[in-house]
Amino acid sequence: MPRVEASALLHAADVVLDDRTVLRGIELRIGPGITLVRGQNGAGKTTLLRALAGLLPLARGTREIPADVLYLGHRPQLHRALSAAENLWFFARYRGYGSADVDGALAAWGVPHTSGPAERLSAGQRRRAALARLETEPCALVLLDEPFAELDDGAAARLGETVGRCAARGQAVVIATHGRAGLAADRTVRLEAGAIVGA
Amino acid sequence: MRLRRAWLVAERDLRGERAQPDGLAAAVGLTAILVFVESLLVGPATAAATPAVASGLLWIALTLGAILAITRSFDRELEDDALESVLTLPGGADALYLGKVLAATLLLTLVSLAGTALTVLLLDLEVSLPGHLGLVTLGGALAIPPTVTLYVAISLRLRARALVVPLLAVPALVPQLIAASAGAAAAITGDAGGSFAWCALLVATALVSAIAGLTIGPAAIE
Repeated sequence: MPRVEASALLHAADVVLDDRTVLRGIELRIGPGITLVRGQNGAGKTTLLRALAGLLPLARGTREIPADVLYLGHRPQLHRALSAAENLWFFARYRGYGSADVDGALAAWGVPHTSGPAERLSAGQRRRAALARLETEPCALVLLDEPFAELDDGAAARLGETVGRCAARGQAVVIATHGRAGLAADRTVRLEAGAIVGA
Repeated sequence: MRLRRAWLVAERDLRGERAQPDGLAAAVGLTAILVFVESLLVGPATAAATPAVASGLLWIALTLGAILAITRSFDRELEDDALESVLTLPGGADALYLGKVLAATLLLTLVSLAGTALTVLLLDLEVSLPGHLGLVTLGGALAIPPTVTLYVAISLRLRARALVVPLLAVPALVPQLIAASAGAAAAITGDAGGSFAWCALLVATALVSAIAGLTIGPAAIE
């Protein structure tokens, strides 16, 4: 895998959804390594990640993000009529990683090799298939929203190892979680009511 | 680069449609039912005297079929938030719009060729210029998807989408519907120049609506 040097920036950023300011005055610079975003339910973690992914417009402030961002949200984001492998092939080829070992990645994550549509997989298997994208798309900025949800202990351990490898090759990995703190993070950002209260 | 990415999205759509052909089945089913009803209502004698009526009804059926198929294609993007994973790809919104148009054009080509053949068969039409009729059919299949895809994209997050899309798209498609109906009628009656002219108009409207769609569609999807 190539080494990448990643960075992302939000400066004085506000996000307004349905006339409600969900994020306010966010100052955040993200470099290579693991950044944990922690906070209670409703603190704005998901909104922060979606803002970093470019999925939400900023009401105020500026955003600088790399061109290749991998965002994995609450749901697996797979095309349900396609198989898990077809989904991963699509993303890898789109980003120019045509030689990615999709079958190997899915096998490593314990996703059964089947040509059937992803909708026939269990919720946990679909989540694993989505996380296998970490292996096939080495993007500069990786955003993971509650990635431990629906994972058993084995898959959670694999996620920890994979994220560590991503950080070691220079990727910036941002993980939003309100629970598990077992990851060795390079920095932690604490959100409260849409504002950063500690970093 | 832009076309390659759009083609990848189209290929993804077509693979999905091959695995679960509910969009295609809906479009083919609706078209077949409407053509069948039309053949009972209009009848061979009226169709032979006024071929524009038969072709007009066929193209209305095909437009509704295209709306069904394209709406279903976007519905799949909303399941499991698949749409977000495409939007975070570089140039994802552009590729999504163009890819959907490409996939819908290929599907509508199949549906419109089958619908045209069924109309000719059921209404016992004598087609003077079958090649020209085929060209007009391809032109119509090219002209409708950019506009329908745009309006489906614009109304993507509306609950009343099933109502809003036909309300917005059908009036905007009036030039395409007139051109396809008149072009098909010209091919049936043996007016080669007329069918070419209407076919050229269909290609022109396809280009204009694709450019308009590429300008507005990706922003609407985002």
